[in-house]
Amino acid sequence: MYDFEVTGIWQLACPLMSMAERILIIDDDDQLANAYKEYLSDCGHQVDCARELEEAQALLAHFSYSVVITDLRLTKLGFGGLDLIKHIRELALKTRIIVFTGYGWPELRAEATAQRVDAFLRKPTQLKELAATVGALVGVKA
Amino acid sequence: MTTSLLEKILDDPDALSVRFQPIFRLRAGVSQVDSVEGLIRGPRATNFERADILFDYVRRKHAEAAVDRSCIVAICKAVLELPPELRINVNVHASTLGHNPGFADFFRRQARNLSLSLDRFTLEIVEHAPTYNIPSLTCSIRALRDLGVRIALDDVGLGNSNYRMILDCHPDYFKLDAYFAKGVTHDADRRAVVRSVMCLAEEMKGSVVAEGVQSSEDLATLGQMGVELFQADLLCPAMQVHDLAAKGFVGLKMGSTPATRVAENVQAFERARQKLLEPAAKQPLCQ
Repeated sequence: MYDFEVTGIWQLACPLMSMAERILIIDDDDQLANAYKEYLSDCGHQVDCARELEEAQALLAHFSYSVVITDLRLTKLGFGGLDLIKHIRELALKTRIIVFTGYGWPELRAEATAQRVDAFLRKPTQLKELAATVGALVGVKA
Repeated sequence: MTTSLLEKILDDPDALSVRFQPIFRLRAGVSQVDSVEGLIRGPRATNFERADILFDYVRRKHAEAAVDRSCIVAICKAVLELPPELRINVNVHASTLGHNPGFADFFRRQARNLSLSLDRFTLEIVEHAPTYNIPSLTCSIRALRDLGVRIALDDVGLGNSNYRMILDCHPDYFKLDAYFAKGVTHDADRRAVVRSVMCLAEEMKGSVVAEGVQSSEDLATLGQMGVELFQADLLCPAMQVHDLAAKGFVGLKMGSTPATRVAENVQAFERARQKLLEPAAKQPLCQ
């Protein structure tokens, strides 16, 4: 598992990576999700956004994603991101998972880690950091 | 406050758009549009514009009943642009009929408000999960039949469109899934399945509609086996009303609409039709 909060490797990221990956971003904050989408698209990736668990599940059923980037909290009342991570792992998809969340609760992180999350990022995540994390997970050199 | 996709679908009258795909009646010397199926597309320029993804989402939200109603509202409005004699197929989930006893009344009111005759409609029952409330389902179907609506069972042979559903729905139309049409010419097992469905339909006074035929060869084979109704991109993909009219698929008096007016789409059909015109004595299916 990568932990870019610790390594700070993101500072080396180049926004113009050459290999296009299909990426799914799940966040109920449209503004934030669109900013991430725009940046990652500029990096050459094909990016889809979903705002809730069921949207993400429907997209995962029809498209193959290299990377899923999800918030843990997808509704005001719950942590649908964890359900999504479990769903992906149950499907045995090879998708790499990046979690970004404003919540630093150790128990949440432990649960996500148990589901083999590939990287954690703390919200608000800098765009370069996000792109670098994606690049590292899919094996693309900056 | 931002709205969810489901709220958008249910509340925004422009979120759903409608395409129509003709169902052709093809047999020796006859090629005409029998009816059109109203097909829903989700919000434009999104992944959910695709119906399969849209309804996957809807089913995950357990919102089939509410969305089915929105779809019927959208399709009924679009039907106003079609020639008044043209028959219309509309999809509805079995669960919507099984859990909503008021559906037939809703459909009746919707049609009445737009001055649409209900006997123009065929309701295509689709289901992706077991339907548990069979009495309510059959009650809804009976109410719809009383209004003049015909019943089709979609995706026959796959999933939950099984023998039980055939018995419970007693469809007027058996819509044979594309899976069984694909490669039927060179697959004796597939032909056996098609024959069995045709036999069922004949015994139950219904008709078979072959969906998603991908080659003129398979079209001809199914025609020789006695299938007369076809719905396939090969003949005409789903399109908006004005495109259907511009290409000559609708707008003429029913019974005389030559599908051959659309040269780019029907070349394959023409070849198949020529094969159908060749003498080929049909064997009785059920003996």
